[in-house]
Amino acid sequence: MKILVLNCGSSSLKFQLVETDAAAEAAGTDRTLAKGLIENIGSTAVLKYERPGAKPVKETAEILEHKIAVERSIALLTDAETGVLRDRSEIGAVGHRVVHGGERFKASVRIDDAVLEGIEDCFDMAPLHNPPNVRGYRAARAVLGSVDHVAVFDTSFHQTMPPEAYVYGLPYALYQRHGIRRYGFHGTSHRFVSRRLAALLGRAHDDPGLRVITCHLGNGCSVAAIRGGRSIDTSMGFTPLEGLVMGTRCGDIDPAALLHVVLREEIGSAEVNALANKHSGLLGISGLSHDMRTLLEAAGQGNERARLAIDVFCYRLRKYIAAYVGALGGVDAVAFAGGIGENAAAIRAQSLRGLDAVGLGLDPATNAAAVGTEAEISPSGARARVFVVPTNEELLIARDTFRIVSGLPPA
Amino acid sequence: MQISTVGIVGAGTMGQGIATTCAAAGLDVLLAERSPEIAAGCLEAIGEDLDRDIAKWRRTESEKKAILARIRLVAGLPALEAAHLVIEAVPEDLELKCALFRELDGICPPEDILATNTSTLSVTEIATHTKRPDRVIGLHFLHPAPRVPLVEVVRGLKTSNETFAASREFVRVLDKTAVEVFEYPGYVTTRVMLPFLNEAMHVVMEGVASAEAVDTAMKLGYGLPVGPLALADRMGLDEVMRWMQYLFDELGDLKYRPCPLLRKMIRAGHLGVKSGRGFFEYEPE
Repeated sequence: MKILVLNCGSSSLKFQLVETDAAAEAAGTDRTLAKGLIENIGSTAVLKYERPGAKPVKETAEILEHKIAVERSIALLTDAETGVLRDRSEIGAVGHRVVHGGERFKASVRIDDAVLEGIEDCFDMAPLHNPPNVRGYRAARAVLGSVDHVAVFDTSFHQTMPPEAYVYGLPYALYQRHGIRRYGFHGTSHRFVSRRLAALLGRAHDDPGLRVITCHLGNGCSVAAIRGGRSIDTSMGFTPLEGLVMGTRCGDIDPAALLHVVLREEIGSAEVNALANKHSGLLGISGLSHDMRTLLEAAGQGNERARLAIDVFCYRLRKYIAAYVGALGGVDAVAFAGGIGENAAAIRAQSLRGLDAVGLGLDPATNAAAVGTEAEISPSGARARVFVVPTNEELLIARDTFRIVSGLPPA
Repeated sequence: MQISTVGIVGAGTMGQGIATTCAAAGLDVLLAERSPEIAAGCLEAIGEDLDRDIAKWRRTESEKKAILARIRLVAGLPALEAAHLVIEAVPEDLELKCALFRELDGICPPEDILATNTSTLSVTEIATHTKRPDRVIGLHFLHPAPRVPLVEVVRGLKTSNETFAASREFVRVLDKTAVEVFEYPGYVTTRVMLPFLNEAMHVVMEGVASAEAVDTAMKLGYGLPVGPLALADRMGLDEVMRWMQYLFDELGDLKYRPCPLLRKMIRAGHLGVKSGRGFFEYEPE
């Protein structure tokens, strides 16, 4: 079945057409037929589109709303020259990435009126993300008519966390009144990577004895502790700000420090929010860039603040990995995914430094050689194995969507 | 109608601020300025204001780039034909504004809304100079426009409900809150605030309390972020005076009589922050 996967931001739309079914999923032969990205919706938008074996398309056009963006995406997918579909009726279903599913959505779900209402109930907790996700759904429904739509949530994989992992040390009334607790994000990626990891280890993904740690290191970064295929802890919290140091986010911090900044710098809550989310992390520490590639290069040339940003990043990650070894009572495997995790051998090495005490180590040659490809990077015979596993959230969204619209049980 | 391109007439302080606000909300802006001197410096001034935002972590470098990329400076009004909404921010001169609206009326498609940022002049009167008085409205942004989360949406006598609804939606897109105001001198913000500042000056003049004491009392007693006298200093005492005189002339009520101490300070050249001295003293920037 050909599934359209949509990831809709406030002024952007990412789309992929994925062909999958049960047999292809089992064989791992399901694949992306074409993908594209439209940015700056609401004004003069920039559109990029590519299909294996064809010249990439890049154009600018006035695209005023998401509905027009969806129309444009489908026009590209069905175009005689650029397209991969005869016509839009070949699209069997649409899978939507939805950021926040709160406590209600513990798995992917077919979207109906009640589900839509449930997603809208989470607007308050994800004011930047959920509303555009819903806008994307409404646009796709308007354009594609009766086809089935499925929501796949960033939070749902972590709904298996036990209360001791998700309750903050705050007055419990705040949890009851406003849902203030840890939710975790990047769930689709952690689920995809942990499944693949189980397969690489030759074990069933729900083998109750299987303990893995997955590190999703992209522009946003998070770690998850997974036992028997279920997330038992993850580093992001109520919002994607908690946990690791990221490209522009600070990660864990003493909240009193921010309250102090409010007084000293005479700024308000909106500024603090932007400060912690957009001006901090690798960018904030280095004063140079949020991009790990730039920082590694600068550090190599002796830039001390770039070096410091990298050190803070790796040290925080190492602490989390070690903590999750404790939470899991040992570890069978660790996986690195995301742009940094898949490509930056130096970051993987530095993050695992000193963890040989818990059985984690790297083979320098295989680690250095693993750039953007799946590979085992631990030394042979290691007690705990380490892998690079390229993530593919869109593929998992397509697989979930196929299963739900076909009435199959979740994988 | 979806508003995606906004025309702004006048690239002075308010015009710049409104342009930044619209561009930050993802709208394309056509900024019309007749004076080559003002036009020459205005994009630079907007850039400097955005740099101050970056220094206070309100925005990022890439947001600044995106905002500046969405603002296009145009020399004449005819280019505003492409806008869906035009906001006028030229100096507070009735004849100037009326002539401008006559001209805009001939240029802009009849379904476009024409808005004025006036804080003193009559929206109703300005609207009579167009063939679309139902599609003329006041959009009163407060200074500094990018940072004040309020817009007074001012209805003239003939402003239609559709025009009001579209304007309120526009304000929502700017991520600001609209309050509906029916045209009357001072609207809400000026009408309520100015007599408050004036009364604080009377308290000082009558020797009831010092300027510091008045501001401390009002700040702490009512949780205000800034005291009334410091606020008057920031607004400029000559501006406060002009406002009080305007309310007094328009409404004729003694409660709007400018405080004699205010008059005296202006005569002494104490204009507030901009002159280095008002009710308080200020270091030159």
